[in-house]
Amino acid sequence: MIVLGVFVGIIFGCIPGLTTTMAVALCIPITFGMAPTMGMSLLMGLYIGGTSGGLISAILINIPGTPSSVATTWDGHPMALRGEAGKALGAGVFFSFIGTLLSIIVLIFIAPPLADFALQFGPTEYFALALFSLTMIGTLAGKQLAKGIAVGLLGMVLAFIGIAPIDAFPRFTFGIPDLDGGFDILPALIGLFAVSEILAVAEMDTELKKENVLTNFKMKGFGFSVKEFFEQFWNMFRSALIGIGIGILPGIGGGTSNIVAYAVAKSQSKHPEKFGTGIIDGVVASETSNNATIGGAIVPLLTLGIPGDTVTAMILGGLMIHGLTPGPLLFINNADVVYGIFVSLMIANIVMLVMEFFGIRVFAKLLRVPKHILLPVIFALCVVGAYGLNNRVFDIWVVLFFGVLGYVLHKLEYPTSPIILGIILGPMAETGFRRGLQMNDGNFFAFFSRPITVVFIAATAFMIIFTAFRNAKNKRNQAASV
Amino acid sequence: MKGIRAIIAIALVAIAVFGVSAQSAYPTKPIQVIVPAGPGGDTDLNCRIMGKYLEKELGQPIVVVNVNGAGGSLGTRKVKDAAPDGYTALFFHPSMFLNTILGLVDYDYTAFENAGIGVLDNTNIFVVSASSPYKNVTDVINACKAKPGAVKFATETGGLTHIQALAFESEAGIKMNIVDVGSASQKIVALLGKQVDMIGISYGIIKDYVASGKFRVVGVFADERNPAFPTVPTFKEQGVNLSFTKFFFYLFPKGTPQSVISKFDAALSKISTNKDLIADLGKFMVSPTYMDPATANKYMAEQYAMYSKYKDLITNAKVEKETVKQ
Repeated sequence: MIVLGVFVGIIFGCIPGLTTTMAVALCIPITFGMAPTMGMSLLMGLYIGGTSGGLISAILINIPGTPSSVATTWDGHPMALRGEAGKALGAGVFFSFIGTLLSIIVLIFIAPPLADFALQFGPTEYFALALFSLTMIGTLAGKQLAKGIAVGLLGMVLAFIGIAPIDAFPRFTFGIPDLDGGFDILPALIGLFAVSEILAVAEMDTELKKENVLTNFKMKGFGFSVKEFFEQFWNMFRSALIGIGIGILPGIGGGTSNIVAYAVAKSQSKHPEKFGTGIIDGVVASETSNNATIGGAIVPLLTLGIPGDTVTAMILGGLMIHGLTPGPLLFINNADVVYGIFVSLMIANIVMLVMEFFGIRVFAKLLRVPKHILLPVIFALCVVGAYGLNNRVFDIWVVLFFGVLGYVLHKLEYPTSPIILGIILGPMAETGFRRGLQMNDGNFFAFFSRPITVVFIAATAFMIIFTAFRNAKNKRNQAASV
Repeated sequence: MKGIRAIIAIALVAIAVFGVSAQSAYPTKPIQVIVPAGPGGDTDLNCRIMGKYLEKELGQPIVVVNVNGAGGSLGTRKVKDAAPDGYTALFFHPSMFLNTILGLVDYDYTAFENAGIGVLDNTNIFVVSASSPYKNVTDVINACKAKPGAVKFATETGGLTHIQALAFESEAGIKMNIVDVGSASQKIVALLGKQVDMIGISYGIIKDYVASGKFRVVGVFADERNPAFPTVPTFKEQGVNLSFTKFFFYLFPKGTPQSVISKFDAALSKISTNKDLIADLGKFMVSPTYMDPATANKYMAEQYAMYSKYKDLITNAKVEKETVKQ
């Protein structure tokens, strides 16, 4: 059951447009007829397989298979272009394994205190966290700081569209009912990263044939050395912590954690300028953190009955169908199911490692499929995926809109990643801010009176000053060298 | 002449018979039921459980389709604009009334063909933390009378619990501090994290917190105590004359043939007494309660009128909140 789950999960994960959430949604009705533990093992397999499967297409064709693998494309694909696809895949798979493993260990041993920590997060904390994460735009944009900020703001502006938080009034919808729901994050992502990439590739059709021949594929083991593993040790650990932390917080998941972990790895690195050129650090940060989110997201699910991300929201429904209410009594009344979930997570993780390790060679053959055949197929799948998400034709237009937007930004040499941070974090900051004010009777200083909030706001200030300082220094250096 | 008449008569009968048999063949393909909410919530779970039994009765698969967003209005609109062939239906609850009352959509349930009510949820409760000084509804009222806004109540703006809170305020003549925290699970977090004093929610979702001694229920909005949790007093017992029932109904697009509605309705009626269905829904403390389309229409009209009464309350509440912020 687990093996089947992991397999289906990987397939859903690696196909752009089809996500883990969708795989779980499709399989939940199948679990109705099974014993709870059995059904849960299937779902856990899907969860782990789906989250790591996204790295395959991210590295090989520069299109993230799921939102969790967006940051993997930034270094993974340049590596593949250099002929190091095997190394990138190997590292991605191995560190996905490590990320999941670390998060499961955390889940098993310290879930209850962690859940208590998550309860400390009220609206003010979410606002501060979103604010801090927005400073990552500075890191991601690198030298193109102004352009990065512009694109990040564009993302936030696009996220304004739809029903406003709290007072539920439709904003910027121009009377178009379809816009009432706003832009969903997934169609936006598919458009920005998949469709715009397809458009960009279509443009250089003459070079297509050459590129395919280039892929000379050789690898031993996981493709990277023991020395490289130890170099990545701290990066791996930090990314796993980021992943677990973001996973625990309800409402945000792997789609956020991989970008944040990447940005943090970049800002902490001794050689941030190499990020994006195809170094293993980027792949490690992204893939460790997105899989670490799994264990993190299951912490509040099992201990509080509160889902940490969209997939666990679905799994919660699956548990309830079996008459199991996750929450304070699950560990007491249904310990067998809880341990069943732990065990199946462990097994699924190992199955994922083995399956993807041997699968790498098969996946790499995908590259031999000429792009003029492969990409239209992917395009069709993107459209299917966008529709399947919420069963609305409108979402297909959203995909196309963001595809063109991404393509135009790419042409004008604007970075596209900040837009995603804007779309995810803008509403989080707004909602947190307004709810925070409402809850504290409109007292603005409430944002500076809670310890967690203060830490994040201080970190935000530090990041802004640090980025400004570094930019000024870079400018001086440039001026000096001229 | 006689011969021709006979032929016409035969032809007419044949058409009638044929027509009827074609219609009674409904359904000949899977029926899509749109849930205007995300997967995993109560609307979704109830719809899926009902679907499991309905498809046995109708002989065609029931496909549950989630169309989430904009307070459910994206989903209701999709059904309203769908072909009235009986293969697209809506499964929703009184939040739909609020969408109309708040001006989010310009149509109400009468823009559809009613196919009956299938599920009733009589577990709308107000909950406080076990360590809270408020033991019952009277304590809450007294606290707010002593100091208006003393009790911080978490809801989702424009949701059913928001109306319940506003109705409670007006009925008891008090003022709470109503704040928005979002979905049901976010309400639980807010109460566990002591960010708020009281939340409005369904009993099934928090029953384990009550059992483990973390939460206390101050009252249920029902005419009688719920047999699933008989120790919880109703609001009426405590002097607040309010009762709210969340009911789940099926609607088809306007113009759907009456024969189709009858067929669907017959299936709905039949499964409502099925023991397995009662047990399945009982896990969530809700019960299958059948109302035929005519009864449902009447009931919904009453409920709609009841909710409309609070229209001023909710729109004023919005204005007030905005001015506080500025």
